[in-house]
This record gives sequence, C-alpha cells and structure tokens, in this order.
Amino acid sequence: MSDHVDGPRSIGDPSADITDLFAFTSPDNPTRTVLAVDVFPSAGEDAIFSNIIKYSIAVRRVTVVGVGNSAKFQPADDEFRFSFRFDVLKRDAAGKAIQLGLCTLPGGRELSLTVGDEKGASTPEGDVRVFAGLRSDPFYLAWDVAELTKLPNLLQHTNVLCIVVEFDTRRVLDTTKGSLFGAIAETVPPQQRSLIAPPIARIDWIGRPEQTNIRLNNPALSAIQDLRDLWNQQTPFAVSKELQSLFLQRLKDSLANWDMHDGKADWTPEALAANANVFLDDFLLFDVAKPINDESHLEIEKSTINGLPYQTGGGRTVDANSIDILLTWLVNRDREFLQGGATGATKPGMKSFPYFATPNTELQTVAESVELAATPDDVWSLIGQFGGAWHPLTARVNLTGAGIGQLRTIQTVDGQKIVERLEAIDDAKRFLRYTNIAGMAASQYSGTLEVKPKGSGCVVDWRAQFLTSDKTDRAVKVIVTTLFKAGLESLKPRFGVAK
Amino acid sequence: MTAFVEHDNPGPFATDGEIAAINLESARCGAWARFAQDPRLPGVAEEIVANERLASQFLGDLDVLDRLDTLALQFERADGSSRALLVQAEVASTAHRFDDARVYLARAVRMGAPREAIERQVLTIDQACGVELDAVLAARHGFATASGRLEDLVPLGAVLADLERFAEADAVYRQAFSSYDDVSPFPLAWVCFQLGLLWGELVPIPDPSLAAFWYRRAIAYLPGYVKARVHLAEICASEGRTGDAEALLLPALSSRDPEVRWRLADVLVAQGRLEEAERQLDAARSGFDQLLEGHLLAFADHAAEFYAGSGNDCRRALELARTNVANRPTRRALKQAHAIAVIADEPGAASDPHEALSAGASV
Repeated sequence: MSDHVDGPRSIGDPSADITDLFAFTSPDNPTRTVLAVDVFPSAGEDAIFSNIIKYSIAVRRVTVVGVGNSAKFQPADDEFRFSFRFDVLKRDAAGKAIQLGLCTLPGGRELSLTVGDEKGASTPEGDVRVFAGLRSDPFYLAWDVAELTKLPNLLQHTNVLCIVVEFDTRRVLDTTKGSLFGAIAETVPPQQRSLIAPPIARIDWIGRPEQTNIRLNNPALSAIQDLRDLWNQQTPFAVSKELQSLFLQRLKDSLANWDMHDGKADWTPEALAANANVFLDDFLLFDVAKPINDESHLEIEKSTINGLPYQTGGGRTVDANSIDILLTWLVNRDREFLQGGATGATKPGMKSFPYFATPNTELQTVAESVELAATPDDVWSLIGQFGGAWHPLTARVNLTGAGIGQLRTIQTVDGQKIVERLEAIDDAKRFLRYTNIAGMAASQYSGTLEVKPKGSGCVVDWRAQFLTSDKTDRAVKVIVTTLFKAGLESLKPRFGVAK
Repeated sequence: MTAFVEHDNPGPFATDGEIAAINLESARCGAWARFAQDPRLPGVAEEIVANERLASQFLGDLDVLDRLDTLALQFERADGSSRALLVQAEVASTAHRFDDARVYLARAVRMGAPREAIERQVLTIDQACGVELDAVLAARHGFATASGRLEDLVPLGAVLADLERFAEADAVYRQAFSSYDDVSPFPLAWVCFQLGLLWGELVPIPDPSLAAFWYRRAIAYLPGYVKARVHLAEICASEGRTGDAEALLLPALSSRDPEVRWRLADVLVAQGRLEEAERQLDAARSGFDQLLEGHLLAFADHAAEFYAGSGNDCRRALELARTNVANRPTRRALKQAHAIAVIADEPGAASDPHEALSAGASV
C-alpha cells in the first residue's frame, strides 16, 4: 500500500505511521496550494493523533540539474516546514473527548486547531488554513502486487487521520525564486535519552508514494533484507551517502523486476538506472506554475527521464490513481495503462476545504455460530427455508414472489416488521444470502446463513454486515446479536448440542 | 537480591495511555471491518490476532478469546492455506490450548508454512509450557542479540526468570526498557509490569516497594492496564493501605475481569464493609465460572488461586491447579499446585514440587 504499515517499527503506534502525502492546487482557488499527509492505516472511527509525535510537512525548492539518463532533481537547503503537535484529550462541557492541536508555520507563526473541526483554522491574515481529523482513505490499491493480478480495492471503506494545509502559494512559497518544489512528510518522536542507542530521528517519512512497500521492498523479490526501517531512519532530502549505494542497488533490482512483470523489457539498463536515481531522491515533486490534475502525478519525473520538458505540475491530487500510474511506468514505461481492479477510492475527494472526503461509517459485523449434534441436511431442512418461521422471535412470515429476489416480511413477536430479500441460495452447499429492505436501522445490510459439517454433527454460521448512522451502531449491533443468538440457541434443544 | 533503580529517571516518552488505548480499539475495529469485507485480505487476520492480544493483555478485555475463536473459525472457512493454520495455532496458544496449537503447527508445516513463523510459535509454546527451556533460552538469546529490540528482549527476560536467573532477567528487562525507541506505551508498560512481577512475586525474597515502583510506572504509561492495577492494589492492601488499593481497583471494574472484583472484595473485607465485599465476591465467583466454562485452560491458574483463597473452595482449586499443571508443567504451576495441595490437606502434598517436576509426576 502507498506507505501503509511500511516497516516493523511503524507497527508500534499506528498514529505515527504515514500512509500518504499529497500536493495539489486547490480546486476551490487556483492561487492556493494544498499539502496533506495521512497517517494511521485503517483507522477506526475514534482514532486520534499521538500527543508526543511531531507531524511535519517540509517543502524545498527544487532545480532540474540533469535530463534523460542523467535526470536529477536538486533540492535547496532551505525549507518551508509546517509542523503539527497535538495535546492529550480534554473533555468538553458535555464530557465528550476533544483533542486540540497547534500548527507551527514557516517563519514561526502558530495556529491552534481542534481535531475534527471541518472548518479548520485560519491565520488572521487568511493566508494559511489547516485541518486535522478522520477522513475516508483516498488511496486505493486494487492489485495483488506480487502477482500483478487485479483485485477489488483493498482499502475500501477504510479511514485515515488526515492533516491538511492550504495556503496562498505566492505569499508562502515565494514563487519569484522558482516554481518547482519537493515535499516530504515525517513523524518525529521526542529526542529522548537512551542509555543504549542514539535516539531515532523519525518513526516514518514519505516522499513519493510506494517508495518503501513497492520499490524498496518489492514483494516479488524473494529472500531480500527488509530495508524499510533503515530507509525510514534516513534524513529526507539527504539520504546517507554511505547507504546510497545500498538503496540504489535495491531500487535497480526492484525496477528491473517490475519491468519484467509483463514479460517484456521496456527499460534499457541506462534508463532504468536513471529511474532508480530519480526515485532515490525521494520527494514529491510539484510545480505551482503548471496545472496539477488527477493524471499529472509523476509527469515531471517521467518527462525529465524521457529527455523532455515537463508539461504539468506533477504533484498528487486526492483522486490521483497513483498506484496505477506508478505501476504502468515501472512495468511498461507508459506503453499501456495498467488499470487495477478499482477506478476510485471509497469516496472521491471534495472540491472545497478540507478536500478529503468525510470518514466512512464503520462497517459493522455480527457473527454467531452454534455446533449441533445433527446432520447438516437435517438442520438445513429447517432453517434453509427462506419463508420458514423457525426463529423463536418470529410470529409470522409472509413471502412475496419466488426464487431469487423474493421478499419475506417477518412479523416479530413484539410487533415489529422486517422485510428481507433473498439474494442467493444454494441448497447443496446449505447457504443463503439476504439483504434487509426495511425494519433495521441500518443500510447495506447483508446477511448469510450457512450450515457446514463438523465431526459427526454440523455448525451453523450466521453473519451480518451493515452500516448504521453515527449514533446507533452499537444499539443495532446489540439487536442483531440478540436476534442471532436467540435463533441459534433455539436450535440446541431441537437438534442437540455437539459434544 | 537487590536492585538499583533510578527513581528520578522518567523513562522513555510514549504516547499518552488513554490515546493509545483508544487507538488500539480503533485499529482493532478497523481490522475486523476489513476482515468482514474479505477474510483473505493480506495480513488482516494476523493483525486482528495481534490487536486482540493487546486488548486482552493490557485492557483486560475478557471477550477477546471468544472473538478469536470466531476469527479462527471464519478464517479457516475462507482460507485454505497454511495462513489459516498459523492463525488457528496463535488463537489456540492465546487460550493456552497448547496441544491444539501444536497440532495446527504440525499441519502448517506439512502445508509449507514459512519456517520462521512456525519456529517462533513453537518457541512461545515451549516457553509457556516450561519445556526445553535451555533450547528456548538459546533461541531467545539469538533473537535478542540479532535485533536488540524490546519485543525480543522481554521474552528473553521472561525465560531467564522462568529459570530463576533473576538478576539476569532484571538486567535484560532494564535493557529492553532503556533501549526502546518507539512511542507506543504498550511495550513499555509491558516491561514495567514484568519487572513488577519479578520483584513482587518471582524472586525468593520479594521486594514489594520495588515491585510497586514498577507497577506504578506501568500504570503511568497505561492507566487502563488492569493487571498492573490489580497487582499494585494487592501490594497496597498487604501494607494496610486499603484506600489506595480501592482507588486502584475501582476504575478497572469496567473490564469485567473477575480478579478485580475478587481483590476489591478482599479490600472491602479489610475495611469491614462485609456486605459490599460479599456482593463483589459473588460477582467474582460467577465471573470465574463463566470464564472457565468457555476457556478452562486459559483461566485455570488464576481461578485456582481464587478458589484457594477468597473463593473458599480448596477442592476446586486443587482440581484447577492440576489441570493447569497437566497443560503446562512450569515451575510456577507446580509450586501453585503444591501449595494448594498443602492447604487442601492432600496426601503426599508435602513432597518438593521441583522433585515432582524432575520426576514428571503430578502433584
């Protein structure tokens, strides 16, 4: 994944684990630039930032100092740094937990913010606006990367913690000195005293997407040393000279392997080495004087390696298909676009601040099972009837229609009405799937009921997944769990409990 | 045996314990949601096991074993590879069903599971069962030397403590504590707890004040650390500071760990609040019974201790202690069974548990 869980060390505290970095022109105002960093892969709905990590986005002016097989981007020494720190939790008057933060801007100005406040916080001058909070993960990966076979989006419905900085491009970056920039983001722990080893400089950092999980730690290369933690300890914009050859060789090996994924060599050794050199200098290139769009990601690097002037502002937008753009470049050098199994993330980005989509409601799951001392067929003959009224909380069931698509209207013993639709049934495999149409305070409710042999008896497995509104998920979960348990418990006296 | 402690050294910084606990729960739920979408997603089942174990170890979440059983069942149905067997082995091992875990691992070997993953699990099981400890020690030394990481140093310290090499265990734990360079409070709280256990319960002459120092540190890193609260409360109560003990236990009641209610009952008895104590004791008894019904091997040792003490049922305590010894004949398990046999006035109980261990006899 982009930079999700990109080293054993970053598994320690997920809120220090960087997933993605973005740089793009505001869709709302072309005079403003947006930088954003995401952390905490697959964050649940209550995720919050660490109170001791400094979350930073740093930008340096970059100059093109070589093209073609000598392609090279040279960063300046000076940088524009946006650093965020967050507090321990506080309680508001209603007892609700809130987290406050402080952003330090280039030049030292400070801006206070409240995590999760969609309006964000702005400087009095209005030149900078910031946001921090939970959002839908904009990254999507729809490949088995080692095999390069298509899959559905592996990050569907997931969320991340997102930090957004939007600023007046000319005032903050001083574009009179040049318009090409490189950005990185890093999570920096306190420089604590250690008696054993020197303190680590950072937990994680990111420039371009997939430096660690796809390029350095190519899953198709077997029996290689995991260099990701070593890479994460490098200083952005200044990778250790002693280790450069190690990383460069790994990049060359990895890119050569990627090139042959389709069985065709699209890269000459010289061009491949140039590509590795460019990726070794790992920062996200963006040019604020040129258009940045969903397709422009990596265009600056690609054109420069191809010996051509770049046409776009590169960067990376919220909706950029970064993984497919990268894989296409690595595998066939843009001969044929490699489209993965998904064409977008769970939710597209927004056109206005804070640009990243609202968090996904957590998919709720209820799963209950019971082991019975009866044959699977005996049990299925009872519970496999879609219109059957075997459940003790069911007073009556009415069926409408027949076969797949038929509806059952369940009247419960306490007078509730639930309507469900049969989506699939397989009597041979003793399996059925249904969706809820009405009667449950949930959407996208999908249930499965299955009976499988186990020992001399069987096991009945009843599962449901659903989305609820913000406040009711736990309540709905309790209702569904109770419903399932009551039903499965009622089977025990009928069929006996497996020993 | 004495130890030097830098009382004024605050130790490594870490993310606030309340934030870390919220984020653990967040990560745990996030992983389950992804598992629900597709159980075969790379690494997700394994991530759930890791998160659930943290929730059990640090937050006293008693539903973990049930959830892990569900995970193992669903994953087995969804994934026919050796991954499912490795997950099943981890789940069985977490519930102290070590024989089951070994069976899963043997099947995983036949299906070509990665050798290192198998060896790590076998090592954990051997250590938990107190078998082949010399080989376990050598392997733990190897891992700890190679990585120098806390997650390899703490198990090394634990096996040294199992071998009653307490000074070395203390040194290794301190090395783990000092060398930690990440920001999660869980590993730091874990080392502090192990040091508390070492000085409070394992060494021949316990040092309660030193143990209390480490338990307090564990709680400072992780206020919701139920086991650390229980152990520190025991020390406070033994020193007559029942108010402090009660203050430590009350916030842990929400965990539903029956040991919290049992220790609270003892504190209430010491304060003369007998009716309240009786209610807590009933709740503790019912809690242990419920846990034993679902996961006998996982809770046999703690329940044995309960029934040998305030639970006031020596026969049951001895039965549970023997179950525990049969499952994992460690020195601690044998000592416990021996002590309970003496209380229960069991014939032959006076024999040395270490002799019984070397002779392979049951206590």
